[in-house]
Amino acid sequence: MKVKSLIASMAVAIGVTLSTGVATAQTLTMGVRGGPESLDPHFSALGSHAEAAKHMYDTLVWSGDDLQIEAGLATSWKPLDDTTWEFKLREGVKFHDGSDFDAEDVKFSIERIPAVSGPTTTTIYVRRVADVEIIDPHTVHIKTNGPAATLPYDFVRLFIVSADAAKDYSTPETAAEGFNGGPAAVGTGPYKLVSWEPKGDLVLERFDDYWRGKGPWEKVIRKEIPNDSSRLAALKAGQVDVINYVSSIDYLALQRDASVDAVVGDSVYIMNLQLDQRDDTPKVRAKDGSKLDKNPLQDPKVREAIDLAIDRETMVQIVLEGLGKPANQMMPPGFFGSSEKIPAREHDAAKAKALLAEAGYPDGFQIDLYCTSDRLPGDGAICQGLGQMFSQVGIKTNVNAVSKTVYFPAQSRLEYSVFMNGWGTLTGEASYTLGALAHSKNPEVKLGAFNRVAYKNDRVDELMQKGAMTLDADKRRALYEEAMELTMADRVYIPVVQLQTVWAAKAGKLSFQPRFDEDTLAFFIKPKN
Amino acid sequence: MSDTQSPLYRFWREFRENKLAVLALVVVVIMIVLAVFAPYIVPQNPYDLETLSLLDARRGPGFIGSGGYVHYLGTDPQGRDLLSAIFYGLRISIMIGLAAGCIALVLGTAVGIFAAYAGGRTETFLMRVVDLQLSFPAILLALVLVALLGQGKFQLISALVAAQYAYFARTAYGAAKGERKKDYVEAALATPLSGFQVAYRHLLPNCMPPLIVVATVQIASAISLEATLSFLGLGLPVTEPSLGMLISNGFPYMMSGRYWISVYPGVALIILIVAINIVGDQIRDQFNPRLRK
Amino acid sequence: MLGFVIQRLLQAFVVMAAMSVIVFVGVYAIGNPVEIIIPPEATDEIRAEVIRKLGLDLPLWQQYFIFVTNLVQGDFGRSYIYNVPVLELIAGRLPATLELVLISIISATVFGVTLGIYAGYRPNSIISKAIMAISVLGFSVPSFWVGLILILTFAVNMGVLPAGGRGEVVNFLGVQWSFLTIDGLSHILLPALNLAFFKLAMMIRLARAGTREIMLTDTIKFARAAGISEGRILRRHLMKLISVPIITVFGLELGSTLAFAVVTETIFSWPGIGKLIIDSITVLDRPVMVAYLILTALLFVLINLTVDLVFALIDPRIRAGAA
Repeated sequence: MKVKSLIASMAVAIGVTLSTGVATAQTLTMGVRGGPESLDPHFSALGSHAEAAKHMYDTLVWSGDDLQIEAGLATSWKPLDDTTWEFKLREGVKFHDGSDFDAEDVKFSIERIPAVSGPTTTTIYVRRVADVEIIDPHTVHIKTNGPAATLPYDFVRLFIVSADAAKDYSTPETAAEGFNGGPAAVGTGPYKLVSWEPKGDLVLERFDDYWRGKGPWEKVIRKEIPNDSSRLAALKAGQVDVINYVSSIDYLALQRDASVDAVVGDSVYIMNLQLDQRDDTPKVRAKDGSKLDKNPLQDPKVREAIDLAIDRETMVQIVLEGLGKPANQMMPPGFFGSSEKIPAREHDAAKAKALLAEAGYPDGFQIDLYCTSDRLPGDGAICQGLGQMFSQVGIKTNVNAVSKTVYFPAQSRLEYSVFMNGWGTLTGEASYTLGALAHSKNPEVKLGAFNRVAYKNDRVDELMQKGAMTLDADKRRALYEEAMELTMADRVYIPVVQLQTVWAAKAGKLSFQPRFDEDTLAFFIKPKN
Repeated sequence: MSDTQSPLYRFWREFRENKLAVLALVVVVIMIVLAVFAPYIVPQNPYDLETLSLLDARRGPGFIGSGGYVHYLGTDPQGRDLLSAIFYGLRISIMIGLAAGCIALVLGTAVGIFAAYAGGRTETFLMRVVDLQLSFPAILLALVLVALLGQGKFQLISALVAAQYAYFARTAYGAAKGERKKDYVEAALATPLSGFQVAYRHLLPNCMPPLIVVATVQIASAISLEATLSFLGLGLPVTEPSLGMLISNGFPYMMSGRYWISVYPGVALIILIVAINIVGDQIRDQFNPRLRK
Repeated sequence: MLGFVIQRLLQAFVVMAAMSVIVFVGVYAIGNPVEIIIPPEATDEIRAEVIRKLGLDLPLWQQYFIFVTNLVQGDFGRSYIYNVPVLELIAGRLPATLELVLISIISATVFGVTLGIYAGYRPNSIISKAIMAISVLGFSVPSFWVGLILILTFAVNMGVLPAGGRGEVVNFLGVQWSFLTIDGLSHILLPALNLAFFKLAMMIRLARAGTREIMLTDTIKFARAAGISEGRILRRHLMKLISVPIITVFGLELGSTLAFAVVTETIFSWPGIGKLIIDSITVLDRPVMVAYLILTALLFVLINLTVDLVFALIDPRIRAGAA
């Protein structure tokens, strides 16, 4: 009895202290999985880094909820010739220190990136830029090395910093010092920096002269809580108002919880199965372990059988507990270059077996399936599910769900034959995905950098190269759609499921629109009245 | 009568006075039997993907799945029967524990006795290395080694051996050093017997009692270490889950009320380790001459 | 004596040099961090540029040489991920780990020694048996499992304590501490309990074993025969005899608890150096991994050195033996 009453009194004491920690009405406290790695927006290309940076800085081109490109600090843009883009800049925009934003800042920001970028390099955003020419304070011409049809898409994460404030902090050694709490962290974004602790809290206050108008919160605290369960616990305890990345496991329980609102959004990430096309592939054997005469994955019938063996509905309902969608192509529907003509994928185990027999493998064969286990939600579980499905049509599957620190280096050394990982079309258009994966590996045209299955379809190569030079958006879209259709028909890349992301907030308190890029942006989260 | 009894029997007579230790011993034996005969006892081979069905995934205890039998302890996120998975997990855990413990025993004893026998600089060097390693926590050493060597049974056992051999080396060294100075060993060394034979015939038997004590503790600790490493995601592959891996896989489900995935394997793991440690404690007490009057 | 000190210092130096090579080569062997941290759009040129910037294009011996050159100037390099000096990163996380470890080990020692002496003094009482049962449990049950059960009980089922994180911190002596606020204390309770449990079991066993042995010695027998009260025997003789090994173990355990905090910090998302090293392993942040391992090795070498020197001061035979 004594022990019980002691625990009860402890509970009361702690309950009281927790409620004192609740933020005041004008403050938004967000519990997020990852945070910025530095307050220099140009240091890292990581999603969580850019997400944090968007609170303090603006980008030249804005990426909307569905990743459609919109006016940002640039109000309009157009190609002048094959290698020149003209960007018109927004007038009347103020930096946090009260100074005016102009073309100098754009040129400075672009030129600063290669010097200060970290290993998760932001140089990718300006890789096509050869030169920046200032025409007048609100017009810049960007010279590209070769035609760059998708340049505006590259600029959705091109953050603009103040040339005056940051000019002394633009070497690798000085950038961290200048931005992490120093004088250089001056942007045009909706919030100003108050303080930041790496892996801890980013505290911001409203910038009243923001060009989009005043933000809804006076103060924003962005708390990093990497552990999924802890983040949810913090929300339930009232320590934070909103959290991102609720795991599918917790989502099921949350739906029954009246004190919490859950918002589900589609993710850009699609899990793709990839089948090695080399003549001699390392991780495919006969069932008795002996070597096969040829690589069965080169046979279209075998690839179709593998596709048919996958029960995507079960994968979504059971493995992801409803938090996903069956995928039929490598990009979500509606993205620039995804095709409506591609049919939904079927599941037919009997047909899969028949096809294997037709292809000369009536008893099947043996594969080692590799995938990441710690990169995206459900990756390891999906992989094990695939193992079951393949085994049931006669392809004996040894599943290896390994850490991403093992997976990616080995994948880049071409050590795998059948492997699965997520791919997010972060720019919202096809050249990002098909250009890296479906084009044959060709450093000369800078395409196919992530094609690790030796996939080569001459028509796809031609379409992608043509697309990169086609400045007319509609024509380019048609080229990419055809490339997507061809690639999907070849089934070297087999999309499995599209993931979904869940945010959770205290019931009835906040309203916001989920974003495809999974960003949680305080400016667009509004109090519900 | 008592004169004709073997030392082993006398040992056992004393052992059985401690009822708890006897119970623990019985538990250990039962668990080993379960582990060894798991394939003949359980309804499912949890490592054979063909027999699993995702439709059975994450069902509570008592669910009757597509296999037509009752899942008494429920199923895991891949539709594995947890009871089967736990028995197979016991197999892996015990095998890893025994393998790591035995290899460490042999290696450590060899190092310890060799150091005591060789003397001089070799002795100083070897024992400095051992002491240094002993001051380094086993968990950290194993953690780093697994990160370096990669995942897999062989790598895991290597890491555990590397983390544990020093305990045996220290113990064997201490015992052997004491014997080495005694006259009969000196005398034996004077005979044509080789140094190796002297070490084997005289030094080794005298080191055995303390080594057995260390071995029981170390086997339990190897099992626990393996589980911890698996829990941190640095252990064995997910498709052949050890007990630690089962616990780790089920951990996220704990918050949403699906406790069984994590709790039952945990209970099995704890019963095993506690039982081994109770047996080890009793053996230690019996070997400790200072507690006898 | 001076010779002995020099010899031990030299040994410590050799050990550290060897450790630095082993750690550096080992971490190098794990894999190429660029594959994990580089974004997918990177062209081969950009990739090569990143590799060059990080100095990973140089041969291993040259990388090691640069590393050591910086190291002797006290520079462990910059984190690949955070672009701040590694030492700064570790120093920032140290208070969190220190407060967790100190609270755990001090409470484990105080409670463990008290319970252990009792269990050794009255080995056959029911309470002693209960104490020993607790100690066997604490010794056996893997720490991560205890953590899970604590979370399940107090955070999930009862909902009275937070499941993770560090809670509110206050600035004291220029460092952020959480044990000075009520919210912070509520966060530290479970992880500290978790970390203390194992050490508690060890302290109980140690104190019990010591007490049992000492109580059987002639000193105690004579003291009893001389009619000295039991309370006095306990205070004067037992405590004195038992404190030396316990203080030694306390010192040694401080180091190992720091290392063991890796597990507890991971379970409770405690933002200390243990969590940092696990996070760094998952993204292959080499400079942080190397610095953590070398500093840990240094810590243990220093503890060993101190123990050796202190013992040498106390016990002249050791000095003679080593000379």
